[in-house]
Amino acid sequence: MKRLLVLLLVTFVVISFAAKYGGTLRFVMGSDAASLLPANQTDNISATICRHVFEGLVEFDEKLNLMPALAERWEVSSDGTVYTFYLRKGVKFHDGAEFNAQAVKKYYDYVLNNSLRRTGLFKGIIKETRVVDEYTAQFVLEKPFSPFLYRLAHEGALIASPKSIDELGADPGKLGRVAVGTGPFMLKEWKIGERIELVKNPNYWREGQPYLDGIVFNIIPEDVTRVNQLRAGDADVMFNPPPALVPTLQKDDRLIVRIEPSLRVIYIGMNTKKAPLNDVRVRQALNYAIDKSKLCSAIMRNLAIPADSPLSKYTVGYVSTGGYPYDPQKAKQLLKEAGQENLKLELLTPKGRYLNDYEAAIAVQGMLKEIGVTVDVKPMEWATYLSRLSSDNPDDWNYELFLLGWAPSTGEGHWVLYPLFHSDNIKPNGTRDNNAMYSNPVVDDLITKIGFELDKNKLMQDYAEVQKLIVQDAPWIFLYNMANVVAFRKELKDVWILPTEFVIIKYAWFDK
Amino acid sequence: MIPVILGVSIISFSIMHMIPGDPARIIAGEGATKQDIEAIRSKYGLDRPLIEQYFRFMKGILTNDLRSIKTERPILKEISPRFLNTVQLAVVSIFISSIIGISLGIASAVRRNTWLDSFAMFFSLIGVSMPIFWLGILLIIIFSVFLGWLPSGGKGGVEHIILPAVTLGLATSAIIARMTRASMLEVLNQDYVRTAKAFGLAKRKVVYKYVLRNALIPIITVIGLQFGYLLGGAVLTESVFGWPGLGRYVVDSIFNRDYIAVQVGIMIIAMSFVLVNLLVDIFYALIDPRLRRG
Repeated sequence: MKRLLVLLLVTFVVISFAAKYGGTLRFVMGSDAASLLPANQTDNISATICRHVFEGLVEFDEKLNLMPALAERWEVSSDGTVYTFYLRKGVKFHDGAEFNAQAVKKYYDYVLNNSLRRTGLFKGIIKETRVVDEYTAQFVLEKPFSPFLYRLAHEGALIASPKSIDELGADPGKLGRVAVGTGPFMLKEWKIGERIELVKNPNYWREGQPYLDGIVFNIIPEDVTRVNQLRAGDADVMFNPPPALVPTLQKDDRLIVRIEPSLRVIYIGMNTKKAPLNDVRVRQALNYAIDKSKLCSAIMRNLAIPADSPLSKYTVGYVSTGGYPYDPQKAKQLLKEAGQENLKLELLTPKGRYLNDYEAAIAVQGMLKEIGVTVDVKPMEWATYLSRLSSDNPDDWNYELFLLGWAPSTGEGHWVLYPLFHSDNIKPNGTRDNNAMYSNPVVDDLITKIGFELDKNKLMQDYAEVQKLIVQDAPWIFLYNMANVVAFRKELKDVWILPTEFVIIKYAWFDK
Repeated sequence: MIPVILGVSIISFSIMHMIPGDPARIIAGEGATKQDIEAIRSKYGLDRPLIEQYFRFMKGILTNDLRSIKTERPILKEISPRFLNTVQLAVVSIFISSIIGISLGIASAVRRNTWLDSFAMFFSLIGVSMPIFWLGILLIIIFSVFLGWLPSGGKGGVEHIILPAVTLGLATSAIIARMTRASMLEVLNQDYVRTAKAFGLAKRKVVYKYVLRNALIPIITVIGLQFGYLLGGAVLTESVFGWPGLGRYVVDSIFNRDYIAVQVGIMIIAMSFVLVNLLVDIFYALIDPRLRRG
């Protein structure tokens, strides 16, 4: 009897385990990938597909913890300039090439010696890549750089086969079409503008993975149709449905809608070099005048939470600052002190770039009206807007308010603070992303220190200090942190949603 | 043909370069340094004087040496599959709309002022005035979401083309029906038709052999024009159904400021329009013997 029970149990386990296997997942996306060469793509869709075909030395889990991937473990020298990676053995690229230290060196040398679209992630940071032995690779940095491991978890750091680089490296456009990595899925077919098909890698190194036989990324530009594809059973997963249709999807009992935090902070930048926005009292007043909870509920339909720092709650390095509570009386008083009671400002905003961006700008206009500030909202098409903000011509630096969003794709705060608040990046220098033209020497020093600091506790102290200072100086009106919304079929399990705005389905399986 | 293409190339080039925006800035992505952006600009010659850029572009066309700025792939490899998709959709939908449009037009002209006529004209009024975008979504909701008969979008087997072709075809068929009716009515009032009737010829024979044949020229013109438009890519239909055609690609490329893709796309659209018009002229000669002699 006992034996029979054991036998039954074993059979049950085997069956239920086997049941996890099989099925092709259909992911419906808004546009085609630009390139499947990780170091040469800059759009979310290319990056998502790269994350299923390629792997890096390290990778993020769902909470943005750094996990070993192609490296089993690593060591950092005490001065923070030498990173030694002990590589996983017996891993092969899809074309049969061996993954080893030479492959790591080949890839990073290729990225650094060519001006690819992600070369900037490593240029000026990695001095040299060394092969210590067959399965030990070393990066020597120009100077200590504390977020380095996060850079290696970025999609731009996913490693392509050395063989494919030898064959097609001279033509990044062609290399971007073949996609040879070590990941759980391999590129099977890419029908331009139509779909990208991946199949299971039968020799994948993670025991028992992947469960799916394949993934098809179908391209449907219209978001309402993507929603209908899901409802009609023609698709299994979609990312960021339009907020107005989220309730429809939630009502559908064949589907699951998950709402997870994103690292993206939506803000209204203020040109701190232009009067009267050069007066900190005016900038603080504008912050006090905004009812962020109302913006989140009424405009964003609860797909956002109020922001109180330039970093989102889930960005590595975030420390709560308290932010600016909604206090129109205080706002009026501050404006009075600054002698700016009849203020007129212009707010530039993209339309359709972020969920309900223009609608949020209009709501802000209404709230500022309450404290006697007249705002002229100017919606602009994205490319026009970008070239207006990042123009190198000093005559164009006279804008006042501008609505933008930022999500650090490396998951950590340095990627927010350095480009957006360090005076290195004020036009026409550096990345030119410091559009508020904000400059505070103490903040500059702290950001620089954060880049070098290796001690975790000291790092967090610096982070806390710098966020407090930036919030006080208020170069932005801090609005809200966005959410990622993912809708998928109920039978689908283990869908990962990274706060860096990625849906990862490499571990997913169908519960049949 | 050549002056048309030259003209189109100059106009599309100037318009693309007149609108603000910088492809390099968009491609470089967030956190790109000035150097990254400059590198992309110089790679595509975007830092050169406009005249030089234009001549480089024309040279690239002649030597087939142009690449999409966004994907860095040869531009014809990007455009030709999409153009073929557009041709497919255009052919099927012009076929559907000609059949529906011509039959409705004939029926309502022959039975003028009957319920059939009113119905046909009401149908075509709806067809002309219904936003194609809305019609497409409606058809998806009915035939894919509720009935589950047809796929809701994308490209695949034959079943994938039905909804987009019908959506496009309905609007076009309405235009063709109206033109057929008007043109038929005009011919129906001609003396030779009355004479034919007076001779006691069968009504069917009069309608098809004498009336329709003589009414055909304006109908062919409309069909040709509509077909030309469809070859330019039906942006809205392509978007709603995720049909990977040329129209949507050109629009996306405008947003990405992929100058090369837009310019080459527009030139192909213009060429196909010219070609269709040529075909229509040949058709005229086939159906109207007088034109052959001239």
